[in-house]
Amino acid sequence: MESPEQVFNGIVKEYSERLYWHVRRMVGSHEDADDLLQDIFLKIWTALPTFRGEAQLYTWVWRIATNESLNWLRREKLRAALRFASADDLVVQRIEADPYFNGTAAQRELAKAVARLPEKQRQVFVMRWWDELSYEQISAITGTSVGALKASYHIAQEKLKLNLSESEVSK
Amino acid sequence: MTRKNDISVPEGYFQQLEQRLQTLPQREVKPTVIQRVSPWLAYAASLAVLVGLANFIFGRAAATEEDNTWDYVSYLSQSLDPDGQIELVETSDLTDEEIRSFLIASNISVEQLVSLEYEEDY
Repeated sequence: MESPEQVFNGIVKEYSERLYWHVRRMVGSHEDADDLLQDIFLKIWTALPTFRGEAQLYTWVWRIATNESLNWLRREKLRAALRFASADDLVVQRIEADPYFNGTAAQRELAKAVARLPEKQRQVFVMRWWDELSYEQISAITGTSVGALKASYHIAQEKLKLNLSESEVSK
Repeated sequence: MTRKNDISVPEGYFQQLEQRLQTLPQREVKPTVIQRVSPWLAYAASLAVLVGLANFIFGRAAATEEDNTWDYVSYLSQSLDPDGQIELVETSDLTDEEIRSFLIASNISVEQLVSLEYEEDY
């Protein structure tokens, strides 16, 4: 029988890298992703005694990570509102200033356009496009039906196409 | 467009991250906002029962529900804004701008506001 510390260390070994990439895509910069990931693993450790094994460990861990990323985005929105700014613009600024972004101009435009999506669409797009999770996996993690996820992904894609073509025209 | 390789991390980051995360169980876990305020909620509940009892015993005329709500809003406002910098108005008359100004002046942290609303049980 494994101790809670051993189970936790196993989760860290197995999931920390994949969850980092998910969180990084959600929040936009390495620094914020690093801070948030630590909070997420603290939550996982705190909640570990309540994990009953009804869901797969994989689903449970991902659910905490993606919910906490959404909460982070909501906090940013509130902070931005109190400063009369737009949270989306702040994330876009961070993407532009991130020293660990080394993609092409087109990839940067895509990251910025994704940051402007409504949070749920952003979540589905990140999980499908970058994390390469299946709709069934995303459904188990988020509790949203496969049909609704497909619709969200389609709408997100359409918005991104429009947004990217507009930014291309404005250059 | 390729999906990956557009973002990177500092060299050796994942190794350090793993070591850092594995020390988390040894650290003290901070109580949640609800856990932190629950003793105060218990005091507030006791106080409310005592006040209610006193009202009943001494036959004090009960205020209308609206008045009670307004008293509570006034009390809350005085706690958050003791210097009275913000003029108090009926809730229905508040604009987003006024709510924003009130929150800024009250110095309530974003973490407190959000954690009360989005506290999740896993």
